Amino acid sequence: MLPARLNSANGNDEPRRQTVLGRFLRNRRAVFGLLLLIGFCLMALLAPRIAPFTADAQVLDDRLKPPGPIYRMGTDGLGRDILSRALYASQVSIAIGIFAMLVAISVGVGVGMLAGYFGGWIDNILMRLTDMLLAFPTFFLLLTITTLFGRSIPILVLLLGLTSWGINARIVRGQALAVKGEDFVLAARSIGASDFRLMIRHIFPNIVSIILVDATLRVALVILAEGGLSFLGLGVQPPTPSWGNMVADGGSLLRKAWWVSVFPGLFLFFCTISFNLVGDGLRDAFDPKFRR
Amino acid sequence: MQRYLVRRLFQIIPVFIGITFISFMIIRLAPGDPIVALFPPEVLNKVDRKVLAEQLGLNDPLPVQYLKMMANFFSGQLRSFQEKQTTFTLIADRLPTTLILSASAILCGLVIGIPIALISARRPYSILDTITTTGALIGVALPQFWLALVLILIFSEQLKLFPASGLRPIGSTSNNLVEMVPYLIMPVLVLTSSILPSIIRYTRSSLLDALGQDYVRTARSKGLRERRVIFAHALRNALIPVVTLIGSLLPLLLGGSVLVESIFGLPGLGRLAVRAALNRDYPVVLTLNMLSALLVLFANLLTDIVYTRLDPRISLG
Repeated sequence: MLPARLNSANGNDEPRRQTVLGRFLRNRRAVFGLLLLIGFCLMALLAPRIAPFTADAQVLDDRLKPPGPIYRMGTDGLGRDILSRALYASQVSIAIGIFAMLVAISVGVGVGMLAGYFGGWIDNILMRLTDMLLAFPTFFLLLTITTLFGRSIPILVLLLGLTSWGINARIVRGQALAVKGEDFVLAARSIGASDFRLMIRHIFPNIVSIILVDATLRVALVILAEGGLSFLGLGVQPPTPSWGNMVADGGSLLRKAWWVSVFPGLFLFFCTISFNLVGDGLRDAFDPKFRR
Repeated sequence: MQRYLVRRLFQIIPVFIGITFISFMIIRLAPGDPIVALFPPEVLNKVDRKVLAEQLGLNDPLPVQYLKMMANFFSGQLRSFQEKQTTFTLIADRLPTTLILSASAILCGLVIGIPIALISARRPYSILDTITTTGALIGVALPQFWLALVLILIFSEQLKLFPASGLRPIGSTSNNLVEMVPYLIMPVLVLTSSILPSIIRYTRSSLLDALGQDYVRTARSKGLRERRVIFAHALRNALIPVVTLIGSLLPLLLGGSVLVESIFGLPGLGRLAVRAALNRDYPVVLTLNMLSALLVLFANLLTDIVYTRLDPRISLG
C-alpha cells in the first residue's frame, strides 16, 4: 500500500493550480506594493491616533527645527510637526484619490458600456464626447475649472473625477464590444434576456478585472494630480494639510530647511508607487498570457 | 494625400467645435456674471453694461451667444485683467518658451529612451531590463514638482552648478539659445522624466514585436550581422508607432510645463496659466484652455499625417 502522501496535490504529479490571487501573491513587486498600500491606508485611517501632534499645533519656539527626537521629520515655518501633518495629509490625499476615482469609474463604465453595447449612433456620439474630453490637456482644464468654480474639496473630487473618465470609457467600450459577441451573450439573448440584464449580469462581470486594474492606476494618477494642484495653490487650501501644499510650503526654504519639502514629497511618491505596483500586479495576475 | 487631409480636417471640425462649445458652457455654467468675468474693471466702468452684454450676446438665444463669444475670443479683443494687454499678445509672448521646453523634452526623451529601449529589447528579462523597468516605474510615480525641488536642492543650492530660475542671465534680452542652455537643463530634465517611462515602455514593446516578425527571421537567416538586422530593418519599422506616441505625449508635456515653469520661473504658457488662475484672470485662463486643446488637436493631426507618410502599408483612401 502506497502512503497517501505520494499522491499529494503538491507533489510532482499535478500542476499548480493557477488562480488570480495565487499569481498576484507570487509577484514580489505586487506584494510589496500591496503591503505599502495597506500601510498607507492604515496611516490614513489611524492618523489621529498615531500622529504625535495635531495638524495645526504651532509651537512658535520650535520653528524650522531639523529632524530630531521630538519632531521626527522636523518642523515647518510655523512650528508644526511635519510627520503629524503628513499623516493627516494622507487622509486628505488618499480620500480625494479614492472618491475621484469612483466618480471617474462610474462615468467611464457607464459611458463605455452604453457605447460598446448599443453601438451605432449612440456609440458615435459618446465616443466623440470622449475624444473631446481627451483633447483637453487635463491640467489646463483643472486650472480653468478651479478658477471659475472655486476650490473646495468636493469640487476638487468631482473635478478630478470628471476629467479622467475618458480613457476608462474607451477601455470599457472595447471590452464590451469584445464580450458582446461571445456565445454566452448570444445564448442569453436568445432566451429573451433584456438589454439591461445582459449588460449587468453578463457583460459586466467579464470586464470587472479590467475596471479593477484601471481603478487602481487611476487613484495613483489622481493623487499625483491633486498633489500638483495643491502645490500650485489651486487644490486643497491651507491650513488643511495635503502633501502637495506641504511641499509648496518648503519651496522657498530649500536651503535652510530641506525637510519641509522633501518628506511630504516622499510620502506622495511612495503612496503613488504603491497604487501603481498593485495595479500592475493585478493586470499581470489577470492576464493568463502573461509575458511581461 | 489631399483627399486624406481633407477627410481628416472634416473629422477634426466637430471636435474643434465641441472643444469651443465645452469652453463656452464652462463660462456660462460658472457662478458669477460673465460680463464681470470677461471684461476688466476699467472697461466695466467706462462702457455701459448693456453694450457689453450685447457684445457677448447675453440677451440672445444660446447659439448666437456661442457664436458671439467665440468671435470675442478669436478676435483677440479680450484683455487680461492684470497685464493690460490682449490675451493674444500675452500668449504670443510666452508660446516660444513653452515650445522650446516641450521640444527639448521630446528630443531628450527620444535620444535617451530609444537606446535604452533597444538594449532592453535585445535582452529581455535581463538585469538591465529589470533596472529599466524599475526605473520606469519610479519615473511614473515621481511627483514632478517634488523632483524639480529636489534637483534645485542638489544642483543649485548644494553644488551650485545650475541656476534655479529664469531663462537668461539677468539684464540680457537676447534670444541666444546657447546662453539659455544652463537655465534649461533642469526644467527639461524634469519634463523628460515624466515622458521617458512611456517612451521606453512603448518603444520596447514595439521593438519586441518587430523583432519577432518574419522579415527579421529572414534577415537573420540570410546571415546578416545582428547590428544590421536591427538598425536597417527592425528599428525603422518599430519606430513608426512611436510617432503617434509623441502626439499623445503633448498634453502631458503641456501639463508638466505648468509646474515646471512655475518652479523654475520660466516665462512660458504654463506659468501664465498658473498666475492667471491664482489671480482669477478669467479671459486669460479661458483662452489658454481653448488654445491648448486646439494645439493638442493639431499636433495629433500632424503626427497622423507623418505616420501615414512613414508607413506605406497604411492606405490613405
